[in-house]
Amino acid sequence: MENGQVQNVLIVGVGGQGVLTASDILATVCLASGYDVKKSEVHGMAKRGGVVYTHVRYGRKVLSPLIEPGEGDVLLAFEPAEALRWSKYLKPGGTLITNLRQRVPPASCLDRRPQAAVRYPQEIQRSLRQQLGDVRVLDAESLAMELGNPRVSNTVLLGVLSNVCEFSTEDWTSAIERSVKPQAREINRRAFLAGRNMQFPAAEEEPAAAPAQEAAASLAIADIEIRETWCKGCEICVVVCPQNCLKMNDAKKAVVADASSCIRCMLCEWLCPDLAVNVH
Amino acid sequence: MFDFKEYLRLDMFPHMLCPGCGHGIVLGAMLRAIHSLGLSKDEVMVVSGIGCSSRLSGYVDFNTLHTTHGRPLAFATGIKLARPELKVIVITGDGDALSIGGNHLIHAARRNLAMTCLLLNNEIYGMTGGQSAPTTTPGKISTTSPKGQTERAFDSCRLAEAAGATFVARGITYEPAAVERLIAAALQHNGFSFVEILSDCPEFFGRFNRVGSPSDMLFTQKQNTLDAKAAAALPPERRKGKLLTGILHQDSAPEYLATLDQNFAGAVRPDMRE
Repeated sequence: MENGQVQNVLIVGVGGQGVLTASDILATVCLASGYDVKKSEVHGMAKRGGVVYTHVRYGRKVLSPLIEPGEGDVLLAFEPAEALRWSKYLKPGGTLITNLRQRVPPASCLDRRPQAAVRYPQEIQRSLRQQLGDVRVLDAESLAMELGNPRVSNTVLLGVLSNVCEFSTEDWTSAIERSVKPQAREINRRAFLAGRNMQFPAAEEEPAAAPAQEAAASLAIADIEIRETWCKGCEICVVVCPQNCLKMNDAKKAVVADASSCIRCMLCEWLCPDLAVNVH
Repeated sequence: MFDFKEYLRLDMFPHMLCPGCGHGIVLGAMLRAIHSLGLSKDEVMVVSGIGCSSRLSGYVDFNTLHTTHGRPLAFATGIKLARPELKVIVITGDGDALSIGGNHLIHAARRNLAMTCLLLNNEIYGMTGGQSAPTTTPGKISTTSPKGQTERAFDSCRLAEAAGATFVARGITYEPAAVERLIAAALQHNGFSFVEILSDCPEFFGRFNRVGSPSDMLFTQKQNTLDAKAAAALPPERRKGKLLTGILHQDSAPEYLATLDQNFAGAVRPDMRE
């Protein structure tokens, strides 16, 4: 990196994948190498499987903590749909590293019946390859599972990132060791090396997509049974149903309005004080 | 596959509780908890006192006993001593357990006999027409406090913990899945387990205090409570005025029957020894 230049690394993922830990480690490595580092993160969505992202900027002197769209040198994505969403932040010729394991966000899977189709973007890899030059894809979670713990997939991805940022293996491993619990050091070290030693040929074959969505085979519509003689018309089930499947009839009894949108959340059954509702 | 009809005395249904009464929600959660532990109907003993909540024992197809006002814990103690293999569940209300049966509650907690007490707290005496209870929030209207409750309210969980209960938890009917987990955990606890469940009384408490429909009362519960684990991380001003839910206290003390067995080794009935 030349004097005055700033390296922009954007790390994106969804809640629980270790985005913040990974960005902390990267910032520690940069600091240890004598750079000025600015880091800015958005978190708190984690509990709902929402988006978590961090901007990490390092160089001789860094003023703003934020990366503008089209300014990113590296985009490290923990989830393919997030890679697609944030790809506009990469500058031409920037490097994209993405995990292949899909995490379907709650908004895409309102239909929680078995084998239900999810609204998840298709052909992510192809469109990313068309738009961007240097795309490195891997299934970090499978690698991490092979090492013994899916939670180290963020360290695997850091290993891949380490080939783009110019720090030494020792700097990386010592930063990782400081960030994780003593009992997790060894597996994280192996995860890091597994990522660092991965080879990414320029023209890579399309690996098989991760198994998140299968075509809807048969959608079993929920059978909501309401025992009319037990129902006292308190209206709780009608109010709490997130899909408006139920309604009150003229006799002030709860009846099924539309069972086809039922997601089997069970709230009507669990909250019925009269034990009058069953969802089959 | 869980089917609660299996656990009910179907000829007793529909039950006599008012529309929107939270006690029915607790009943469902309790049945799911018992089912999740794989207990057979003959292994469970449900004892209750007097009051709306105590009617629940009549609807379930376990061994049941509907006893006198305030005394279900005393009856249950006798049952557990005679038949230690039974899972004894006491269903009681706030007035039943804290007012009329206040002494039975603290001494049952002190003894640490392995049984579970479910206290259904709706802040009012529902069955007798809406008189104020020891748990009625100060300022709330009841038949006997038309200008607002003057007395301070009991925090039954703190009372049970102070009296020596080794498992203390609180749930709200707004969160039936959490209530189910709390009851299951209480049933597995070796010692006196106490679970307070905030229920609602739309017919009296709700009507007197104009707090809206049964569903509004459920949502209010959520606003007035905080998960104990989440609250631990919050600053004091955010916790102010909120009741904590979840497992509030758990420790291990010698269980009453085990100690009894030890003290009378060789002198106790053979079926009470391990």
